[in-house]
Amino acid sequence: MLLKNTWNEFIKILSKPRSYLGVGALTLLIGIIIFAMKADGKSIISFVTASFEQTLTFNGHILNGYLIAFIILQMLIVHVPLLVALVTGDLIAGEAAMGTIRMLATKPISRTNIVLSKFIAGAAYTLFIIIWMGFLALFVSTALFGTGDVIVLNSDGLVILPEADVLWRFGAGFCVAFLSLLTVSSLSICLSAFAENSIGPIVATMSVIILFTIIGSLDVSVFDSIKPYLFTTHMVSWRSFFEDPVPWSTIRQSVIILVAHNVVLVAIAIIRFNKKDITS
Amino acid sequence: MTKLFPFLLLLTLPLFSRAEGVDAILTKVLTKLNSVKDYKVSATIKANIPMIKILPNEATIYFKQKDKFKVESKGITIMPKQGFTDINNFLAKKDYIAVINDTVTVGGVKTYLMSVIPNSAGGEMILAKLWIDPERSVIMKSQITTKSNGTVTTTYTYGDQVKYGLPSKMVFEIDVKKFKLPKSVASDINKSSAEKKKKIGNKGTITITLTDYQINKGLSDSIFK
Repeated sequence: MLLKNTWNEFIKILSKPRSYLGVGALTLLIGIIIFAMKADGKSIISFVTASFEQTLTFNGHILNGYLIAFIILQMLIVHVPLLVALVTGDLIAGEAAMGTIRMLATKPISRTNIVLSKFIAGAAYTLFIIIWMGFLALFVSTALFGTGDVIVLNSDGLVILPEADVLWRFGAGFCVAFLSLLTVSSLSICLSAFAENSIGPIVATMSVIILFTIIGSLDVSVFDSIKPYLFTTHMVSWRSFFEDPVPWSTIRQSVIILVAHNVVLVAIAIIRFNKKDITS
Repeated sequence: MTKLFPFLLLLTLPLFSRAEGVDAILTKVLTKLNSVKDYKVSATIKANIPMIKILPNEATIYFKQKDKFKVESKGITIMPKQGFTDINNFLAKKDYIAVINDTVTVGGVKTYLMSVIPNSAGGEMILAKLWIDPERSVIMKSQITTKSNGTVTTTYTYGDQVKYGLPSKMVFEIDVKKFKLPKSVASDINKSSAEKKKKIGNKGTITITLTDYQINKGLSDSIFK
């Protein structure tokens, strides 16, 4: 029954125009980034390497598909949560707003399984978004720009990763990025269980992300103790796979915190939905 | 005064003779370098630079007189901006003053340490210090200070191609004080300010091992386009 209801939930997602809005926006954004890189990529790269190029010269195929995929992932991981929340924030609250939630609750399925089926359907949509993003970023970029070593800039300096050592990092990075977006999905489903219209959970989800991101970026010692527990701190963990050596313990910690967030948020949503007085 | 003149002449004689020696030594070095019209060589580039993590990489280096230079590699390689053709070009202009400062042993070889200063202030070069092996007429070590690139020290090791003045290994020591990361790109919210401010070294090295020289085979200009 859970799987059947999950499939129904997925069909509901597919039948809503807003689900394609995210995919369309993502396609357009990635298309614009690829076009910008094709038109003026070298000057964008030299902005990063300018300080080094006073003394050093970088030779080889720097502007390649892998580097562009990395740039796309870095640029869009900030915006994709909105596209995910746009769909998942509507999953429970949207039914309440349309008045179909009562009919849903009369079906021979527990309320817990209703929330779980919505969570799984939301996860499937999130996975589709990540796969689509990966396809456009990685395959389209490499088809247009070819492959090569990847220059990654972080706060410690430049890391140049050999071409043969890059694909697994993208694979692992996309998996952690999926987990990050799944947390956003769980948060919006959780907030959706408290709301009667879909706008509230979507706006609330984005507000939480913005608030946590600002707290995370403020270099004030008073926030140092809470920063490691904010899920937004770990949303950029995919980037750790592009460090050398890979900080496995940091990644493990991020994965644990993101999974814990998902479990707690879905649990709150289940408890709330089970206690919800459905009158509409 | 007339009585003092022979004494003064005697005092300045070593300076004149040394000045002649400097020109002769530099001309021999330049002649050797100019005997190479072009070359192609395989290079293994190993960079150990603070703020840059890169694995050793293979490249092919092409050179053609007077200043055509190209590095071809499959992966990304880092090379010093100066050090390959700068000395040749600078010495070829003969617009400098050179003095021998000292006799120094570099890599077990007795060398003359020379300071070479350009006559005109308009060029990029400020000062070149050269450690020259007078026996083989090759540069064993150089320290070039330029206006925009700071100071780069290079140590040369020679093998089979010493007759052309071409090294088999070059070790560049680079000043990294000037490296600054763009804050907007390099910001990492997961790292505290204490972590970000950890001390890094001031010097970096790039070691280039050169093998399989193909000298004066007549490289086409199209390679350098």
